[in-house]
Amino acid sequence: MGERTKFFSVSLTQGPKPRSRRSTATRESRYWRSFKNSQLSSNLFSAVSSLEFSPVSPNDLAATVSTSLLLFSGFESLSPKPFSPISNFSDVAYSPSYRYDGALVAAGGQSGLIQIFDPINKRPVLRRLRAHTRPVRVVRYPKISDKAHLFSAGDDAVFNYWDTAAESIVSSFPAAHKDYIRAGAACPVSPEVFATGSYDHSVKLWDIRANECGGSVAEFNHGSPVESIMFLPSGGMIATAGGNSVKIWDVYGGCRLIHSMDSHNKTVTSLCNGKILNKNSDLSVESRIFSVSIDGYLKVFDYSTFKVTHSTKYPSMLLSVAASPNGFAWVVGSANGVIYSAKKKEGKDKDEMEIDSNSGKSISLFSIPSEVKTNTVLKPSSHRYFTRGQGEKPSEDDYMVKISPKVKLAEHDVLLKKFRHKESLVSALNGKHPDKIMAVMQELVLRKKLIRCVENLEEEELGQLLGFFPRYATVLNYSRFLIGLAKKVLQIRSEDIKKSDKLKPHVKNLKRVISEEIKIQNSLQEIQGMISPLLRLAGK
Amino acid sequence: MITGGENLVSFPPSFSNDSKKLLVCTGSTISVFSTTTGLLITELEGHTSLVTSIVVVPVETAAVRVACFCWTASLDGTIRYWDFSTSELVKTIEINHPIYSMVIPNVASSLFGSKSGKQSKLHAFISVECFSKHTYQHEGLQGQIHICDLTHSRLVGGILTETQKPESIILSPSNEYLGIVNKRRIHIWSIPQREMNFNSIKMIKLHHTKTFKSLAFHPTERIIAGGDVTGRILVWRVFGSKTFFGKKRISEGKHDDDADSSPSTWHWHSSQVNFLAFSSDGTYLYSGAKEGVIVVWQLENGIKNFKPRFGSPLLYFSESVDLSTCYVSCADNQIHVLKMPQMEITKTIAGIKLPFSCPEINDLSSTGFAFDRSSGLIALRAENYYVQFFSLFNNLELFQLQVIQRNYQPVDDVTIIIHILALSSDGSVMGTVHTTLPEEDVGGSTTLKFWSRVSSAEKGYNLSTVIHEPHREAGISAVVFHPNNDIAVSTSHGGDFKVWVHSTSKQKQFVQKYGWRCQSIGSYKKKPLSAAAFSTDGSVLAIAAETVVTLWDPLTNVLISIIGDTSARITELCFVGSSGYVLTTCQGSEPKLTLWSLSNLSIHWSYKFAVESVSCIEDGSFFAVLILIPKSIKPNKNFQDGFILLFDVHQPVPNATWSVKKANGGRISFIQDRESEGGQGQSPMLAFINAHHEYIIFDPFNNRKCLISRKTLETNSSLEKSDFGYASIYGELPEFDLKKDKIPAISYMSSERPWETIFSGSSHQLPSMTKLCTSFFESLLEKRPSVSLE
Repeated sequence: MGERTKFFSVSLTQGPKPRSRRSTATRESRYWRSFKNSQLSSNLFSAVSSLEFSPVSPNDLAATVSTSLLLFSGFESLSPKPFSPISNFSDVAYSPSYRYDGALVAAGGQSGLIQIFDPINKRPVLRRLRAHTRPVRVVRYPKISDKAHLFSAGDDAVFNYWDTAAESIVSSFPAAHKDYIRAGAACPVSPEVFATGSYDHSVKLWDIRANECGGSVAEFNHGSPVESIMFLPSGGMIATAGGNSVKIWDVYGGCRLIHSMDSHNKTVTSLCNGKILNKNSDLSVESRIFSVSIDGYLKVFDYSTFKVTHSTKYPSMLLSVAASPNGFAWVVGSANGVIYSAKKKEGKDKDEMEIDSNSGKSISLFSIPSEVKTNTVLKPSSHRYFTRGQGEKPSEDDYMVKISPKVKLAEHDVLLKKFRHKESLVSALNGKHPDKIMAVMQELVLRKKLIRCVENLEEEELGQLLGFFPRYATVLNYSRFLIGLAKKVLQIRSEDIKKSDKLKPHVKNLKRVISEEIKIQNSLQEIQGMISPLLRLAGK
Repeated sequence: MITGGENLVSFPPSFSNDSKKLLVCTGSTISVFSTTTGLLITELEGHTSLVTSIVVVPVETAAVRVACFCWTASLDGTIRYWDFSTSELVKTIEINHPIYSMVIPNVASSLFGSKSGKQSKLHAFISVECFSKHTYQHEGLQGQIHICDLTHSRLVGGILTETQKPESIILSPSNEYLGIVNKRRIHIWSIPQREMNFNSIKMIKLHHTKTFKSLAFHPTERIIAGGDVTGRILVWRVFGSKTFFGKKRISEGKHDDDADSSPSTWHWHSSQVNFLAFSSDGTYLYSGAKEGVIVVWQLENGIKNFKPRFGSPLLYFSESVDLSTCYVSCADNQIHVLKMPQMEITKTIAGIKLPFSCPEINDLSSTGFAFDRSSGLIALRAENYYVQFFSLFNNLELFQLQVIQRNYQPVDDVTIIIHILALSSDGSVMGTVHTTLPEEDVGGSTTLKFWSRVSSAEKGYNLSTVIHEPHREAGISAVVFHPNNDIAVSTSHGGDFKVWVHSTSKQKQFVQKYGWRCQSIGSYKKKPLSAAAFSTDGSVLAIAAETVVTLWDPLTNVLISIIGDTSARITELCFVGSSGYVLTTCQGSEPKLTLWSLSNLSIHWSYKFAVESVSCIEDGSFFAVLILIPKSIKPNKNFQDGFILLFDVHQPVPNATWSVKKANGGRISFIQDRESEGGQGQSPMLAFINAHHEYIIFDPFNNRKCLISRKTLETNSSLEKSDFGYASIYGELPEFDLKKDKIPAISYMSSERPWETIFSGSSHQLPSMTKLCTSFFESLLEKRPSVSLE
């Protein structure tokens, strides 16, 4: 009451509105989507069998592709290091593993040889560990406070614990599993505890300190060949991948199955631990499980709510995944040698940078000295002099004069407001926005001006209108209106269409589209005829 | 008995002297509204027919601003003088002709002149309709302008002029001229300032090629503006030099026009100019027409400014005396009070929405009303795609709701029609159906919308669900709601009905989605369905299929049974309370009212009535019907063309009858006054709203009149205090502190020898002579040691 009526711009009134895509995306999904995707070329065409980020800044990346170990610099571009690839392998290389301080990287191979390299400088191979007789698919350094040891396991079902400096085995567990050991992980809280997964469906936990009682402290059955295994950051839970499912186990609670995630359609090949950088609270860094599968999907799994929060499709089979410990990037390796990387966009958010500097893991690139504000007197030579005072906040006792916000109207709305109907229609047709065109046409019908507009259209504009028909005349929401209009237009302007060579193809197009639609409708009716007796029978 | 729903915009209203009140002609009464609250203050009752004009007696000084006197003229042939602050009738003058317009020149001076004894004659110019046999009758001239001596209550002189129909008289603000429009001419008379002598009144005519519709005088100069049917505005700069002042004109015109120059013409409006008004300083000319736009013309150069989007044709416009406010009357029965220099709407006095003509869609019955029985509300459709919720008991608009999101252009043809409004029994859900008309078979659609009330305490509805083309191409004939559950049924002429349910899916992790969806579809032999009704407990759904009534179980959608054949198509269907009877009405050539018994599925009794509307009591066996008197019977003198009959189902003899006017297009409904003191025990009232949307509420079971009176809101009397005049423009002046302006008295010490100190200080701050003298002389006097040394 008391207000003059507000202005409505024309809008399509007919038909249900298409569901906006955005409504389905969660906040987290938007976060993951904000990462910028790119490809790292490996110059090779065989599978990227394994990927690993260095645990220390700047988080270099190690990847094993075919017979070589690729190293990428962790600075924002992920460019290959000058001495990469390291191709000291006689056969296929597997499972690169960084020592917890990032100073060494170990990798196994098809031949059963484990080699240790310096990932920072170009140096010859530092150590060669020979014991396995079959390919070594698992080589892992402990995650904390142990520089001297690593463990390995291979297709010979042997689990070895090495003293790397002496190139000697500390303890060996032959026949640790009954089949190939293809997965292994080191506990993030204890340097002596490891987990291995094998093709015999079982997962075993090893504690080196319990050497005399056979090493294995726990065993549980995944249910299908284990492809990948991973400790969750707390160390109390293990995620295992095998078959189409990822299972989460509670180790402390007697290796109890907590949850099974079955959202992949094909074998899950690799797991890793990812982090979300929370903009608002820098302390709570949430972590997620990244899983990749042969079906080409990367899924992000929130294990606190047991929900898949994001999934991305890649064009090829995925074999390996790794996420940067600082949460700024993840990489996935595909079966055809391409490494897809996703990096957080260099946000202009100062907050994020502050988080980085606080957590001490900042990527060197982002460290920008904070600006020191100085109270300089503005001079008429600067632009700011002329805009001074515009950002001033009002004080409490100031009288505020409200400026009514200016309503921005589309061109066709402005023209409709001025009752320039034909121009409005042409403007909408130029806009190539089918909803807008329909809305303008419906508004013109309500004003009883559409037919006159059609009569007055120039040849070129008529061509635009006729070009609009074949594309949208069979769209569900528009067809009722457009088919009636098209008929009318052809009636009114038949003379012009006959004369003009430009307009004829449009009509031909329309004819083709309509006959196609009739065919579809006929076949649909046939199907309906077939189904309806069945439904009636089912109803009884 | 409550009446209401008056037309506020049939005749121009008038401001009171302090512009805090607006006097509006509402039927045979004058309603005084507050401009600050927009609510009714009081009513002046006395006239027996439509009040046509109000002249407020202006006052010269602020001291007598409280004086609230006015003259009113009415079609009942009387002129009355009122004190509207106390709503007392002071004086009545009988004229014996219906008065269509009245102006009183120099009304203020004569009021106070009466005290001095001079200039005591107060004359009114009245425009009357003359039915009596007259010599000019054969020419079809029925409008006459007379002069009436108000002091002696008689007509003086002869007839000033005769017109085809009574025209409204315009008085110039300077009280010098008087004008009417008469087809393609404007007649102007000069009013003798000293002595009212009929023979000394001179007249000039101004000619135009089109019919005039409105007229305005410049407040100070001899400028007149006239608006015609095509939307042109003609402004004559100087008129009447020859006739009124005896001056020679420089150029001779073709006609006997007495204007010194040909008029300047402005053209913006596309249809007839409804009002013209000069601003009081004479710089601007306001004009308004059907577009709903006030055009502000600069008189000097014709540059125009617009105040658009009033959403309805504008009818009248006037500025208040102190220039701070003005009103504009809109054709949708609203009077907007505008704050003047900015022309912002401050308050709106809204009456009931008036009926409007809309094109008939083939076999679509239009029910533009919906009653909320429990709270005494009526929902009416308005032309500008709004639905108005109007409280019948308070005669007050509650709120408006825009049903269709489209800009309404008053000049355009009606192409969207809200043809069904339905409210659930508790008023929590509303259903609207609107149809857009196609242009030469292109476009056109039907849309069903469900609205849910925001909350029972607040007013307003939220859009819940929009369903496009609910019945494919076919039009919807009725929408009804289940009395208890959230179930709605829509029937179509296409032969099917749909049961809609309100689903509230509260699934885990998902946003709550409320909406109406179709539960089931039914049809009966593909016959077009025309009406539907739920039984009082909601267990049976009755749907009229051409001539039979089909009974369904709404939940399982199973046809229960069919009730027999009527002679014609059933148009309305209704369960009579919980009595087990169904009422059907047929229209057309063989109108019929039939009562069916559900127990034996046969006719109980029937009448051959043309029934316009039926309403049944919710619990009980009574129902009321509104019937039209057939055209074969001559209408009686009071133009009553309908009857309301109250029936009990058990006997085919009506319990009570009332005759009503303008029944064609009217509606009746039983309503419950929930807010009244009686509470539950009260019997329901019957509300009748006629074709002009005037309504009456009465107790059909009690013949005593005036059982209930309209509840006037208590807030009416407590007027907000508002600024006017100087204060409204510049705000309150700071309080003058007279003492503060004085030169501060210099403090001086009263020493033994004051002359040594009193002159110390700057020379322009010397104390006044009186002060000096007293102190000087005081010092000369011998001082007694008055203060005791303690």
